[in-house]
Amino acid sequence: MVPEAEVQDVLAELQRLRARVPLLSGALAASTDGLVLAHDTPGVEAEGVAALTAAALGVSIRMTDATGRGGFRELLVRGETGYIATYAAGSSAVLTLLAEDRINVGRLHLEGRRSGSRIGELVDAALERAPQPAPGPRAPVPRTAHQPGPLPHRPT
Amino acid sequence: MANTEASLKEAMSSIEGTTGVALVDYTSGMALGTLGGGKDFNLEVAAAGNTDVVRAKLRTMEHLGIKDEIEDILITLGTQYHLIRLLKTRGNNGLFLYLVLDSGRANLAMARHQLKKIEADLEI
Repeated sequence: MVPEAEVQDVLAELQRLRARVPLLSGALAASTDGLVLAHDTPGVEAEGVAALTAAALGVSIRMTDATGRGGFRELLVRGETGYIATYAAGSSAVLTLLAEDRINVGRLHLEGRRSGSRIGELVDAALERAPQPAPGPRAPVPRTAHQPGPLPHRPT
Repeated sequence: MANTEASLKEAMSSIEGTTGVALVDYTSGMALGTLGGGKDFNLEVAAAGNTDVVRAKLRTMEHLGIKDEIEDILITLGTQYHLIRLLKTRGNNGLFLYLVLDSGRANLAMARHQLKKIEADLEI
């Protein structure tokens, strides 16, 4: 778990990002297993977006892995009325941004990457300092994304 | 007719004083191609930032009720000229050429004239 002080720093970063980039309607930092760290997403349910981000991230990591493209960096989804962009933020977090259709995507990428690495530093430093809890019976299952099995095949 | 890469090369080599050039899509803010620049002048950042410049001007014209189009935009810095030229040739809407000039070496009138010619020859 990330301590409260760092959560406030992450939230401040999200708010700064939203103030700086016009047409950015929401910003959310989540752990790679789908839990919200901090969010500034008016009108959108952050828990749901964080959970979906983790699901999309799982597929994305397998995609980059299966095609030999290295580790996950970012994911851009465009709907009819806007974009959803997810950026890697250190080893255990991601940054998801919600933007309107008219956004300057070049600028979204520049600011999103910068912000993602800053949030990554905050979260990674906090996790390094925090004592690791002993894995209890309800500890989360370790991610297996780094040792993917064979790709699933659709039965024909 | 010249493709993007050839046009950027021509701008870089034939326009005196050019230090960087980019072809930018201002509907997305991303560059279709860049040449020059370097680690102290990131053309991707310039593409995104100048997209905001172009959009702001288009919006201002709309608010003023001016039914016209932008041919080019000149920004004069202490030691550089930045020249933005919107593409008008068939179906190339939403793009601009962005040119960075060293003001000590550049001839502005000539640069503008040459860029106009490169734009007319450009085929995406």
